[in-house]
Amino acid sequence: MNSTKSLMVFTAAVAFSVFSSLAKEVKLLNVSYDPTRELYQDFNAAFARYWKEKTGDTVTIQQSHGGSGKQARSVIDGLEGDVVTLALAYDIDAIAEKAKLLPADWQKRLPNNSSPYTSTIVFLVRKGNPKGIKDWDDLVKPGVAVIAPNPKTSGGARWNYLAAWGYALKKNNNDETRALEFVTRLYKNVPVLDSGARGATTTFSQRGIGDVLVGWENEALLSIKEFGADKFEIVAPSLTILAEPPVAVIDKVAKKRGTIEVAKAYLEYLYSDDGQEIAGRNFYRPRAEKAAAKYARQFPRIDLFTIDEVFGGWQKAQRVHFSEGGLFDKIYQSAK
Amino acid sequence: MKLFQWAVAAAVILTQSVPDAPLLADETTDSINSLKQKIEQLDQKLRILERNRELEKEAAETKAKEAPKISVGEKGFSFGSSDGNFAINLKGVLQADSRTFFKDGGIKGNDGFLLRRARPIISGTVFGDFDFLFVPDFGGTSGTVIQDAYLNYRYKPELQFQFGKFKSPVGLELLQSDPDTSFNERALPTDLVPNRDIGAELHGDLFDGRASYAAGIFNGLGDARNSNNADFEDDKEFAGRLFLQPLKKSGAPVVQGLAFGVGGSYGNSSTANALPATTGGTAPGYFTDGQQQFFAYRNSVVASGKHWRISPQGSYYYGPFGLLGEYVISSQQVQTNTLTTAALDNTAWQITGSWVLTGEDASYKGVVPAKRFDPSSGHWGAFQLVARYAHLAIDRDAFPQFADPATSANSASAWSAGLNWYLNRNVLVKTSFSRTTFSGGGGAGVGAPAIVTRQPENVLFTRVQLAF
Repeated sequence: MNSTKSLMVFTAAVAFSVFSSLAKEVKLLNVSYDPTRELYQDFNAAFARYWKEKTGDTVTIQQSHGGSGKQARSVIDGLEGDVVTLALAYDIDAIAEKAKLLPADWQKRLPNNSSPYTSTIVFLVRKGNPKGIKDWDDLVKPGVAVIAPNPKTSGGARWNYLAAWGYALKKNNNDETRALEFVTRLYKNVPVLDSGARGATTTFSQRGIGDVLVGWENEALLSIKEFGADKFEIVAPSLTILAEPPVAVIDKVAKKRGTIEVAKAYLEYLYSDDGQEIAGRNFYRPRAEKAAAKYARQFPRIDLFTIDEVFGGWQKAQRVHFSEGGLFDKIYQSAK
Repeated sequence: MKLFQWAVAAAVILTQSVPDAPLLADETTDSINSLKQKIEQLDQKLRILERNRELEKEAAETKAKEAPKISVGEKGFSFGSSDGNFAINLKGVLQADSRTFFKDGGIKGNDGFLLRRARPIISGTVFGDFDFLFVPDFGGTSGTVIQDAYLNYRYKPELQFQFGKFKSPVGLELLQSDPDTSFNERALPTDLVPNRDIGAELHGDLFDGRASYAAGIFNGLGDARNSNNADFEDDKEFAGRLFLQPLKKSGAPVVQGLAFGVGGSYGNSSTANALPATTGGTAPGYFTDGQQQFFAYRNSVVASGKHWRISPQGSYYYGPFGLLGEYVISSQQVQTNTLTTAALDNTAWQITGSWVLTGEDASYKGVVPAKRFDPSSGHWGAFQLVARYAHLAIDRDAFPQFADPATSANSASAWSAGLNWYLNRNVLVKTSFSRTTFSGGGGAGVGAPAIVTRQPENVLFTRVQLAF
């Protein structure tokens, strides 16, 4: 049995030398959703500078973008993201539940339910608003072409859908049947169902399809910045949803890759003054008062409801509306 | 939009050429507006159709990427999931050999054709990080055996854990894949290293492949022995190897193929089975290139304690030139039935050179012909000359108590030369001649090793190999 002990000592020595020989060049993979490309390009550069100054280590952050649900599925199937920054909490819950890569109570680990910035759902119309779109009711009128992505694959699309549903509920005294009719009529007006929010923006702004794009406020503001205020304008509906995109470290992946410390710091930095400033600059609503005040003028004042208030949280909303055979499947079938 | 422009132009011309303009102007304006509206609607429909087709194409491409991948080619048959997390590969090795002995003193039954190896190779990956290999062998003379059967966990390239049956990490030529060896049979130093054994091993590649290490604990094997499927003795063997190719990434071809290292093992063993293999004879001993036994321990001898080996080794490949060398000391404590003990240090070394006549690169992993065998196009594949010298010396203290000096040789020296013809990546034809001379032995006796050591061994090998 002495051989066994010798092996253990040798193994420990080899493992120690292997780990200690690794250079202090850290690579992180941030698995994110569709419209955050610009935000994280900006943020990653700032964090890399911050981390270099703080520790002397070089950190390189790679980004992966796609529909939020699809990205979560990729992580569950083995995509080794050190952190996820997705569109909605349900997608990270799915990673925790199905792949057990992080604890179920991951949302408690960072402030504001691990949501460092917020956004909401607004309308983007062509300059002059030729169809006179002012609120959700205008989207269900005959002849109005609405561009929105597919809630089955896109996190932003689920926010869209729930915003419309919440509005219809309020307008119809919480009558679920009438809300269903309203949202069904809305999706009948959707001629193109992109898989992600960025695709829907492309369809509307670059391909010139549709009268109105329903989507992320940050995406709408970015479109105006990129294409010019002479091309599009934003319409704020009377009521919409408060979207809270969450972030989380994928513990098992980060531990395996030896990046847990930097992955945590990366997400915590989103809450720093610098991180909040970058969020505001990229048209996300900052949580911190200072940055929120600075960028308040770029965000329209809208009545907002939360998913917990109207739908009882993401788990319930997902089950009722977006699961296989759920309400959206029925809506989509009848809208075809 | 061109259609719209034409419509406007036509309307303008129409308006100017008609006498009762005020009346007709309103109708024309309405028509133009109606036409404009229809064109815009058509334009939208067309855009929607195009975009939907674009999205369908994207979806089809995504679906194709997600579809299982199947491939059949020179590297075998494989199928796996689109993300690479699950895969199964089917490969195989078939070696049809012949051995013809010359001036062998009338030894009967050593010439003939044989199916040296007939191995289906099943390998794969599950959940991305777990690799497996299963290799049964229907060839050889020992009946069907499981050559390799292991599971390897890749935590990262630098840190992997392997468990099961696989080659013990000591001998350089032994660790070379069977289809890639220069000659039909490995050289004399392979007599002194452990073959496949059952155990657990930590291994990995460091510094971008410039170094590799392996360290493991095994059931423990006598020299040149292959493991059975179980061994419940308490004595275990520790084996390890460090191998460096420090200039691999230097970009200088003349030095990047230089590699060297050291392998070794240490353990205790106390049974007859822990002595060398019985290949070519009936008692534990060592065998020649022709697989004939030239040294055997006396039947009363058993292993009785420490067994250690050390093997400095190296290789050098530069263009068509290749060189491989290794030295082995195998020290085994042995004991007779009269309880006489000794630690016997047997040693061996070899040097093998090769030259690819057709100019392709030589390597530890064989030769890939630049142009596959295709006579109609005037292509003949790759040809390689190989030459080898090897020597094995038995500890003088082995005689006479532990081995019979009248029958067993106390040393063997072998030179070999051959020509390898690589028809393509999968088919290889080999022919070689090997001559082994002995010191000692050659006395009376009707079996090996006496009849083998009575004269030099001269053997002509041929092989037709299919490996994919």
